[in-house]
Amino acid sequence: MADSISAIVTSMGFSSIESFIGLLLLAGFIIGAIVVIVTIKPVFEMFPYAYPNARVRARIGRLITQKQFSEILESENLEEVKNYLRGFPEYSKYVDKYPLEKALDIQMAETHDLIARIAPGGIKDVFRVLLKKWDISNIKTLITAKEAGLNPEKTAELLIPFGEISDVVEKLVEVKSVTEVIIGLEGTEYSQILEDALTDYEEKGMVLPLEAALDKYYLENLLKAVSDPSDANTTLLHPYIGTQVDASNLKIILRAKADGLKYDDISPYMISKGYQIRDWKLKDLMESEDVSGVISALEGTDYSVIMVDALAEYNKTGSIAPFEAALSGYIQKTAKTLSLKKPFGIGPMIGFLSRKEVEIKNLKVIVRGKRESGFPVSVIKEMLI
Amino acid sequence: MVDIALGTALAAIGAGIAVGFAGLGSGLGQGMAAAGSVGAVAEDPDMFAQGILFTALPETQAIYGFLIAILLMVFGGILGGETALPVEVGLVAIGAGAAIGFAGLGSGMGQGMAAASSVGAVVEDPDMFSQGILFTALPETQAIYGFLIAILLMVFGGILGA
Repeated sequence: MADSISAIVTSMGFSSIESFIGLLLLAGFIIGAIVVIVTIKPVFEMFPYAYPNARVRARIGRLITQKQFSEILESENLEEVKNYLRGFPEYSKYVDKYPLEKALDIQMAETHDLIARIAPGGIKDVFRVLLKKWDISNIKTLITAKEAGLNPEKTAELLIPFGEISDVVEKLVEVKSVTEVIIGLEGTEYSQILEDALTDYEEKGMVLPLEAALDKYYLENLLKAVSDPSDANTTLLHPYIGTQVDASNLKIILRAKADGLKYDDISPYMISKGYQIRDWKLKDLMESEDVSGVISALEGTDYSVIMVDALAEYNKTGSIAPFEAALSGYIQKTAKTLSLKKPFGIGPMIGFLSRKEVEIKNLKVIVRGKRESGFPVSVIKEMLI
Repeated sequence: MVDIALGTALAAIGAGIAVGFAGLGSGLGQGMAAAGSVGAVAEDPDMFAQGILFTALPETQAIYGFLIAILLMVFGGILGGETALPVEVGLVAIGAGAAIGFAGLGSGMGQGMAAASSVGAVVEDPDMFSQGILFTALPETQAIYGFLIAILLMVFGGILGA
């Protein structure tokens, strides 16, 4: 046996069996290294998501089910809703500390904060921008409160204790006017945006330009954070965020057209570079004569089909609520599709955030309905997403 | 310097491949399962026992690799024996090491992914425990194939019971 191996090795031009084995081992080492690298690469992409996805899935398991929603709907009053929510660890720590709607907002902010903390490096920035929503919400609250002349105690009660500049915001409850709020925000990223919109606010005498400037800044930042995807996970975030930006633009346009506003009135509030609705399409939509014109101009996008269905309802009632509901439904559908694409990556996080947002929105609808004594359950049910 | 025959040196390489690659797969898989379990326990401390169980499953590949490596070292004359393996038997030893090494690598990583996913499923819905265990156990088969082939190679290749 050994002789025949030696004969084969010699016939191949090797001086000894040792040199042949040496070459064999070298080839084996190279092949082994290639196998290891090729096999391990996808595992290293999944590795950073194992911990956050387990935490997120634990919370998915604690989301309120359809059956539980039906039980909450049957509550006689707000106290019963509160009692029900005490059975959920996410809500129980807030429902007794804050008014119910604020408790729900705090739970949503806590969820954004959690995701921003546990998300792996590549996608962390996007979730940090999402968390800024609560800074912006607090600034808007401050502005509205000062405009309405609320005292510091009442203003403080309305703030959500989350966000990157929550300490700055808390100090500003003491100031007297909207202008002082803007001055107090000096040094934060929101200072310049608000200063730019200040003249408009002073001329028009309403806070809308300030709020719109903040919303625009938030959504533009979100889009910027997802516009340069580095891997398959960040690539999935673009349609998720982009669809929300498109929906925001569409809602503003539809509201404006229902009120008979023209291009020049709407364009300052638009966010350019959406996902399906690019700049030229946005211009077409803003230039449309009325709501029907907007729906016609949407042809060629995925929004066309769902909006056409809602148009009949709008024609009957004159309310743009069916369009808003259709767009919310479309965002949920997009999120669900995306969440199934990367089960070992960003998928569960997108799915969870989207479902949590729906849960909080639905709970708020129920809370508002239950606040009005005798408000029919069937009407609340219709308003749920 | 210790005088080692070429065949025995090849068996040592086989032992290294067996425990090295199987350990790599097992380690990666177990790391992934552990990361998932820590996340689950952070949300629900009652998940500790299930987390430990799912994290322990990808350990087996390293055990198979370790066993084959020990057998190669004992019967290859590295640990105490006076056996000097012929070159062709040394090559068989490399084959046995590669069989469990690479099978353990793939199996360990696959099992780790399944375990991490199962932990997520169980923490979301505790009724998923038995299904999770079943799915996580499936990638074990590849390591068992590798282990069996390694044993057969050693038996019929003249290392065990030569």
